[in-house]
Amino acid sequence: MKSNALIRDLGRIVGSDAVLSSPEDLMLYEYDALSSATQPQAVVFPTSTKQVVGVVRMASQAGLPVVARGAGTGLSGGAVITEGGIVIVTSRMKKILEIDLENRRARVQPGVVNLDLTLAVSDDGYYFAPDPSSQKACTIGGNVAENAAGPHTLAYGVTTNHVLGLEVVLPDGEVIHTGAKYWDRPGYDLTGFIVGSEGTLGIVTEIIVRLSRKPESVETLLAVYNSVLDATRTVAAITARGITPAALEMMDGFTLRAVEEATHAGYPMDSAAVLLIEVEGLREAVEENAEQAEAVCRANHAREVRRAKDTEERDLLWRGRKNAFGAIGRISPSYYVQDGVIPRTRLPEMLAYIEEVGRTYGLRIGNMFHAGDGNLHPLLMFDARDKEQSERVVKAAKAILSKCVEMGGSITGEHGVGIEKKDLMPLMFSDDDLGMMERLKNVFDPRGDLNPGKLLPAGRMCGELRVQVSRGGEV
Amino acid sequence: MTAAVAAAQSDLASIVGAERVMADESARAALAVDGRVPGLVVFPQSAGQVAGVLRYAAEHELAVIPCRNATKLGVGNPPRRYDIALCLKEMNRVWHYEPADLTVSAEPGMKFGDFLHFVGRHGLWLPLDPAGGARASLGGIVATNSTGPLRLFYGAPRDMVIGMKIATTEGKIIKTGGRVVKNVAGYDMAKLLIGSYGTLGVIVEVSFKLFPLPVERGTFVIPAGRLGIGRDIRRRILESPLNPMRMVLLDAVASTLVRRGTPFAAEVKEPEIWIEFGGSKKVLDRCARELGELGKAAGAPVQRLEAASAEVVWARIGDFHGCVCEASSRVVILKVALPGAAGEEFLSRANQEAASEGIRLASFTQGGVGVIHLGLLDETSGLVALTSRLRSAAEDLGGALVVERCAPELKDRLDVWGAPGDDFGVMSKLKAAWDPKGILSPGRLVGGL
Repeated sequence: MKSNALIRDLGRIVGSDAVLSSPEDLMLYEYDALSSATQPQAVVFPTSTKQVVGVVRMASQAGLPVVARGAGTGLSGGAVITEGGIVIVTSRMKKILEIDLENRRARVQPGVVNLDLTLAVSDDGYYFAPDPSSQKACTIGGNVAENAAGPHTLAYGVTTNHVLGLEVVLPDGEVIHTGAKYWDRPGYDLTGFIVGSEGTLGIVTEIIVRLSRKPESVETLLAVYNSVLDATRTVAAITARGITPAALEMMDGFTLRAVEEATHAGYPMDSAAVLLIEVEGLREAVEENAEQAEAVCRANHAREVRRAKDTEERDLLWRGRKNAFGAIGRISPSYYVQDGVIPRTRLPEMLAYIEEVGRTYGLRIGNMFHAGDGNLHPLLMFDARDKEQSERVVKAAKAILSKCVEMGGSITGEHGVGIEKKDLMPLMFSDDDLGMMERLKNVFDPRGDLNPGKLLPAGRMCGELRVQVSRGGEV
Repeated sequence: MTAAVAAAQSDLASIVGAERVMADESARAALAVDGRVPGLVVFPQSAGQVAGVLRYAAEHELAVIPCRNATKLGVGNPPRRYDIALCLKEMNRVWHYEPADLTVSAEPGMKFGDFLHFVGRHGLWLPLDPAGGARASLGGIVATNSTGPLRLFYGAPRDMVIGMKIATTEGKIIKTGGRVVKNVAGYDMAKLLIGSYGTLGVIVEVSFKLFPLPVERGTFVIPAGRLGIGRDIRRRILESPLNPMRMVLLDAVASTLVRRGTPFAAEVKEPEIWIEFGGSKKVLDRCARELGELGKAAGAPVQRLEAASAEVVWARIGDFHGCVCEASSRVVILKVALPGAAGEEFLSRANQEAASEGIRLASFTQGGVGVIHLGLLDETSGLVALTSRLRSAAEDLGGALVVERCAPELKDRLDVWGAPGDDFGVMSKLKAAWDPKGILSPGRLVGGL
């Protein structure tokens, strides 16, 4: 199909004001928060499932790949196009279709911004639990594609634990409905399989989610340490005491100084590490858990444990954490963030290893991560204009991820595999594991039209990280 | 025994050892499914042996049903074929356990009671109350995504499984997920196996995230004479800051049944709400106080029960199948899943329908979860019609009905799973991708998957 004929036909489906085709417009869609790839032939902004079906059918006839994209905040190259095709942006599919508070359910289109759903039910005392740091921008469709998480998923679970059903457009244009508003619909849990499949199995056009009741009481503690080791030991000790915090985040001295300069959250500039601990629930339970957590921190040599005295102070502490990437952007021309996971008891060992990697590769590495579930986010700082430095960064990142796997962990906890880590999949999975994944992909998308070049490795040998590191996003 | 099965006996013996292939009548009869008796019972000891048996079975097109204590083996359509019972009782080891990480990996044949005992030494548990209770096996719980009232606070096996190893009909052992609590590397194949009722592959190892045991527990009982009171109390509790671990509405028959043989044995005359909280003494005192006020507002007195004895009742509530079967061996058990708020309306319709057929009911409603189990205690000629009317009622209210237990001869007339949806085509292709020869639990799941 000729390019202008394609644009005209797409316009007939979605409206001519909902198609982008000029090179300067398309350029914006070469990027996500990780890196850049190639330009699509067209970008469309459908408003309905029917329009998505039309676009998908057309692409299929034209033999063009299709990539679904929400806000483009992803960190693994999941929403960029690798070999040309059509990008379906869900930003105009942003209707909250149904809110059913008595059943604690909502039905939304995929382009609804994560925080907007929470705001829509907040006055009634409810919220949508998954809270990625990009929640002001990222979409629920994107959360579903990546099985996104955030600081508070430690206690409440990740996206998949809050999604009950999906409407999905398959690559041949067929529309299916998986799951339901109620639990345990008989048959295979296609919802659970599609959540986290990175847009490679179908295009999600409707999502049934669970809403959660806001807790009665919240306490936020900031524990300050003179040693990273003491901070990491505290993490396992808190869990061992039977305390399940709603969130348990760690920032090392380097990162928190950068954050403090940018946000003035009140983090102590001279400390080696801080833990941000949040406990939630019934007032009495929160009070006890906060006291116990504080005692554990002190027993592990925290030099100071502060409690946020009001919502304002709590928001400030969190703003520091959630804007940490932006703060790093102020002090380093480029940075590369990783997302490996380890058993939480191995944190002390792992942080020592990351320091060693920094020394070996001559890189400054900051740490700011979801300590409670062992989900690391080392921030490798460098200058992307320097090719040699860029290569060193990728090597250092691979060393860290390999170590995560060696410790019994994973190469990604919440950012997804995408383009970036697909060639590292053989670190974790055998040929047989990957062979089955490929076979299941083929059930949904036998021609490989949906988001090609993502998630599964090109070959079976363990390769390199695929990334042209340019900048960073939020986690 | 067919010729193929007779030949299989010695071939399988070379995989698992002769003493672990049984063909005698009693061993086979014990694992009959819906009246169908397998030709052989095989007891593999390792993942590799399971894979070997499956590869052999696929090559020779012998139908296999994985099992352990048969607590949930009656759920599903009658198998189209059934040659080999793959009994996993000798696979009951823990492979990996890190109490400080709150993670564990174990084999599927481990009994839930033994498992809870094992992790309980470190103050941990897997907060599930699955059908079959302590006798249920880990593999069976996961393969059926079996839950009880604890789902209200803690979720389902689906929310607790962090990884698994699966033996496929090709004779391979594949891995999905891992041993860490957060992991999005690759497709989450475990989700497909959870609730697949043994139709895709055989789970040979499963990893869970564990939870700390509650410091103390408190159980309260509130009479709910009219359904209106039940609804009122459910709403008030769910909208309060109190976080019950579990909450059930039992009708008088069900309540009498679950109390039987416990320190609270009684002929109960009206429906009751049983509710349990976990936490410190201070937390439980607050729950007791507010629950008392809430009961007063609804016109229902609240009774607090002695905690240890109450656990005996909770165990029976979890194992409602077993309890209901004490009332009648020919009982039919239905599971209705609904948006939670429709529960009372469904119950009121169910009571009317059952009364008009002259069939006694026992009902267990998982409050706030939207799952209702109904025991139909009398077998009359109206049973099939009643089940189909109850299914219509569930569907009208936005839910679905599954026949979880009934006599094999009734299964032809009662549609076990109900009609599949528009995603059935994909499910069928997935089944073919995992099990191209159709040898695993053939025909047992919805639509004959």
